[in-house]
Amino acid sequence: MKQFFAQRPLLRIAWVHLFSKKRQTIVAMLGVMFGVTVFIFQAGLLTGLQTYFIEKTVNTTAHLHIFNDVRTSRPQVLDLNSDTSSTWNVVRNQKPRDEERRLRNGYQILRDIERDPRVEGVAPYLGLQGILRYGMSQQAATLAGVEILREDQLFHIKDNLVSGQLQRMETLPNGIILGFGLADKLGVRLDDNITVISSKGVALEMKVVGISKTGITLQDNTRAYVSIRNAQRLLQQSAAYITDINVRLRDVDIAQSVATEYSSLYRYKAEDWKAANANIFGIFRIQNLTVSFVIISILVVSGFGIFNILMTIIYEKMPDIAILKAMGYRDGDIRVIFLIESIAIGSTGGLLGLLLGFIASKIVGMIPLNIQGFVSVQYLIINFNPLFYLAAFCFALTATTVAGYFPARKAARFDPVEIIRSR
Amino acid sequence: MSTKSIIQASHVTKTFTEPVEFKVLNDISLDVERGEFVVLVGPSGSGKTTLMYTLSTLDTVYDGSITIDGVDIKSLTKNALADFRNSMIGFVFQFHYLLPDFTVLQNVMLPAQRKGGLTQDEMEDRAMKTLALLGVADQAMKRSSKLSGGQQQRVAIARALINDPKIIFGDEPTGNLDTKNTSMVLDILNDLKTEYHQTILMVTHDVEFAKRADRVISIRDGRIVDTEEHYSPIPAVRP
Repeated sequence: MKQFFAQRPLLRIAWVHLFSKKRQTIVAMLGVMFGVTVFIFQAGLLTGLQTYFIEKTVNTTAHLHIFNDVRTSRPQVLDLNSDTSSTWNVVRNQKPRDEERRLRNGYQILRDIERDPRVEGVAPYLGLQGILRYGMSQQAATLAGVEILREDQLFHIKDNLVSGQLQRMETLPNGIILGFGLADKLGVRLDDNITVISSKGVALEMKVVGISKTGITLQDNTRAYVSIRNAQRLLQQSAAYITDINVRLRDVDIAQSVATEYSSLYRYKAEDWKAANANIFGIFRIQNLTVSFVIISILVVSGFGIFNILMTIIYEKMPDIAILKAMGYRDGDIRVIFLIESIAIGSTGGLLGLLLGFIASKIVGMIPLNIQGFVSVQYLIINFNPLFYLAAFCFALTATTVAGYFPARKAARFDPVEIIRSR
Repeated sequence: MSTKSIIQASHVTKTFTEPVEFKVLNDISLDVERGEFVVLVGPSGSGKTTLMYTLSTLDTVYDGSITIDGVDIKSLTKNALADFRNSMIGFVFQFHYLLPDFTVLQNVMLPAQRKGGLTQDEMEDRAMKTLALLGVADQAMKRSSKLSGGQQQRVAIARALINDPKIIFGDEPTGNLDTKNTSMVLDILNDLKTEYHQTILMVTHDVEFAKRADRVISIRDGRIVDTEEHYSPIPAVRP
């Protein structure tokens, strides 16, 4: 240490300055430290939850979803055939046209997509609304008519089963898998028989062969799986009738481009998972923005802390600066002294902040919370991405260097004659 | 103008514009020879201190030209000027300006470290010799703030000498000392002049001080009004 300083007078001067103002130095360091801690903690918490949610979403919604986008409102026929700039047309009670939601040649499209090398799995889907009745209790549910093994390939339903067996959907002609919340509200358990009633008035007796829990509350409370054949029966439709095709890609990130391709190829709407969850990504974006503002303002405040302490030191050490310049130290040398000081504060505070942020994240990640909301999780999921640590440190160092630069420049520009003569 | 001169100032004029336009130095021309001990005297506000800072390269805003050891000061960039000052010029001010948290040795070594070219041991060796010359070698490891006023000023002189400068400039170096220390500092400067043929240019109020100089230059209202030569210095080769 002694030898190190002996050959570096500028470093020694910087060191002495910081030590002569211990309390202020520590306060400035703490400012940087808390900024970095909040950065690490917030970013970890937020992106942890978001990543968890996205993972869940990617696992429970299709990468691509092909469906017939039926428009219920159509333009007035009269409006189309007359000039509306000078006349005023009123036609009341124009009913929506009875358009089929089905995908024509659905199974052909399915087999076609299955041959695409980018595709990992395809599953047909027939969605309908139904009422589940068990004794006196009844619940509305979204019934998903699926080929259960294909569906499992896409959404890993097996992993979410809390009881029952997937295979029984194949072996039993009338099996149904209920969401955890749905089963709870109905009061049914595995192997109980329930009645499923569709909007067409068809009632089927079904046996609960599984209960699944995805962690996404809305799905668990409303979703039930039936075989696609039973779904067709509930809707009184033939065996080729499907409304949707779900696709899982080998690479999630190309979903958008594949979606565009498929929609022009098959002339049905193909939506990728990001578009399907656009509202949630919008929320994420607002969250991220808010947190960025908080982090930036904290770093700005810690920058002011550094600016403040350096200004104090500079005015206090004016005679030192003057004599150093008189004895031939260059302006650049003086600047370096004060930049060293701000970087020392910034990097020490930054490193401490990284450590504290890591510890805080670890501790919070260990506290059981059992949140039941948007998603249900037992522990907060925290992202320990090293990139955050790198970014936080770089941010802190940049903020402190910028904050230190102005005092350093000011010190370098002091006129030694003025200082010496004013004594 | 021969190589005998180390400082050549010609027609140096410096004007202050605040609060009113005022010529603090008015067309001053002056030569200082190698090995000469020159003292600037004059009432306060006469411009003697300004002249000293201008000649010593610290003050760079003036009209006219100043040449030190054959180098036109105005031709140097800011950094080159700093380097020039570092190797050519030593300063002793009224206050010692030692860095308070540094030891005496560290203080003395600061100009040498800026200059470079020597190993750490060589620098220390040289600093210790200079301190010994001034009789404060035993204080080398103390913090400079722990020394007495006279000791501090001697350390400041040692610091001025460490890079073996061509000229020592002084701004009332005894102005803040008691009689005993004043005469000690005067003796030291005298020794530097007689034994080491050090060129010295000082601003002072002190009559005693002025008596020991080779030449006393009186300044009044920005002009040289009187030059009193005590004896002609013998051009000497530095050891």
